[in-house]
Amino acid sequence: MDPRLFRITPSGGWGLALAALAFVFLPMVSTSYWLSVFTSAACFTLALAGVAFMYARLGMVSLTQVGLMGVGGWVALRLNHAYDFPFEVNLILAATVTMICGWLLALPALRMRGLYLALVTLMAAGGLEIVFATFQFPNGGEGFWGVQTGSGEAFRRPWLAQSPENYLRYVIVCAVLGFLLIELHRRLQPGRAWALIRRSEAAAIAAGVNVTLYKTWAFGISGLLGGAAGALLAGSLGLLDDGTFRASESVMLFALAVVGGARHWLGVVIAAALYKVLPALLNLWGVDADLAFVIFGAGLLHAVITAPDGIAGQILGALRKKGGRNAAG
Amino acid sequence: MALKNLTNWLLWAGLMAAIIALLGWGARPNMLGLFIASGLAVGSLYALGGIGIVVLYRATGVLNFASGAAGAAGAMTAWQLVAWGWWPPLSWAACILVALVLTLAYGRLIAPQLAWRDPVVKAVATLGYALILLGLVSFLWIDEPRSITLPTDDVGVRLLGLRITATRLIVFAASILVVVGIWLFLSRTRVGLQMRALANDRSLAALLGIPILRVETIAWGIAGLMAGFTGLMFANLIRLEPVVITFMVIPSIAAAICGRLESLLLVLLGGLSMGVIENLLTLDPTLRGVRPIAPFVIAALVLLWYQRGARLTFGGRD
Repeated sequence: MDPRLFRITPSGGWGLALAALAFVFLPMVSTSYWLSVFTSAACFTLALAGVAFMYARLGMVSLTQVGLMGVGGWVALRLNHAYDFPFEVNLILAATVTMICGWLLALPALRMRGLYLALVTLMAAGGLEIVFATFQFPNGGEGFWGVQTGSGEAFRRPWLAQSPENYLRYVIVCAVLGFLLIELHRRLQPGRAWALIRRSEAAAIAAGVNVTLYKTWAFGISGLLGGAAGALLAGSLGLLDDGTFRASESVMLFALAVVGGARHWLGVVIAAALYKVLPALLNLWGVDADLAFVIFGAGLLHAVITAPDGIAGQILGALRKKGGRNAAG
Repeated sequence: MALKNLTNWLLWAGLMAAIIALLGWGARPNMLGLFIASGLAVGSLYALGGIGIVVLYRATGVLNFASGAAGAAGAMTAWQLVAWGWWPPLSWAACILVALVLTLAYGRLIAPQLAWRDPVVKAVATLGYALILLGLVSFLWIDEPRSITLPTDDVGVRLLGLRITATRLIVFAASILVVVGIWLFLSRTRVGLQMRALANDRSLAALLGIPILRVETIAWGIAGLMAGFTGLMFANLIRLEPVVITFMVIPSIAAAICGRLESLLLVLLGGLSMGVIENLLTLDPTLRGVRPIAPFVIAALVLLWYQRGARLTFGGRD
């Protein structure tokens, strides 16, 4: 096996270091309010990794990621209330089912590109939103939909991570595994195929790349990550609310991936922080929630106009410039 | 080609008849008529929203997510002016004016800076603008039940034994008039010709010396007028709530998809069909809950139908 496969790049090293720091210190310094905020931020990091990966590696726009998270969360909750499986089994099954949903979505969507692909996924997100709003998420009731009125039953967390502190650590580890999964793919054959497809589909077909297979594969990975994120979110909150999984949230998630910078892991982390941590901060400072929208929108416009590679691109560019000057001096 | 077109039309007519028959089976004809009439009104709203989006998209390449938000801002302004005791027609004009100004402001100030980016990025930028508008509107008008009434709400027209409010008829007529009007504008006027040139090929059109900024401004203006009118009518017929009006843009896009973001007539038919089917689903006890899903399912099916037989081929500009 090629040793370069497991080589740690400087950027990857920084990412792992940051994750390790977050793993050790974040739960120690957080109050219970911040614990839940950081846990959802970590869940959304995982989902965002899928969106950003599809956009950066293949130029495909998925506007249904939050809907897929809802699918994963639904499956995890349903399994949790129906059987006595441990959390990990629920997580893996939920991620797998969502991956299959991603494939199903991919098959018709494969014939479309650019804006049309985005619109197809937007329609799927709109449909999922209404399904969730109508049937709600399972909370231990009877029947297939498993919904009962009043308070629901408890959701079992992994035995490794019963406390909120440890659960945050658990989610961080899952998010890191998600990033590593993408990176591994990028370094193997699929990564080379994706790079070729992104350049030119004609060239990819001519070079004998099975474009359909690799595009579907990408959708599957994105769905897998989204489903896992949904199941982890269900584990964090114990129950899910359909308001979390609106189509507008999916659009927002993609927008933030662009703002943060889809090409770099730092951009994904920034996007998740903007999505979950910033509103929590504003809430704490007593800023009206509606004004948070204004800040969000203005930030989005600013980032889209001035920074094609997102905030991460700007930060890295500034660092590189500084490093270059130091080296020259 | 003509034969293929004819098959498409027949298929559409047949499907609509089958769906109406299937869902309306056993309902009293009167009841069925009422559902279809109010479905046509809702569908006209989708279509009007969709037409504004398509006109703008064709001329400027921007898919405007902010049209709903501009309409919401206009509708809330109209409500406020009436609450302050203004003469109602003036407040309706203000609604359209506010939406027009907001849309034009984006078109002149922000859109040119993104002219050479991906269509998707352009669409996402309008989402940012929509968020700003929505945030400001929800901040200015705290959440409480409101409504806009139009004098035509109390005027009933008897048509084939059904009593239909004049507002619904106005919306329906407006959607048809707008399609005819814009079609005439595009095919008969000089600006219309320039707009079609831009839609065909932007860089070639620029090379030919077409005044892009002027033509685009006119397109943004049309989009703003449509957003204002749709917002006002939506507020009257369905609900006056900023969030609801803002995200009405998603079913409007579904209607726009039915016309492949291209044909106004198909957008109109798509929107109307969506409205009718969505309303008729109320008659079915099991599907009643998921009624609002209709536009998305229809749009997805239509997209698939358009793409049938197409092979995955070389990426180009799309």
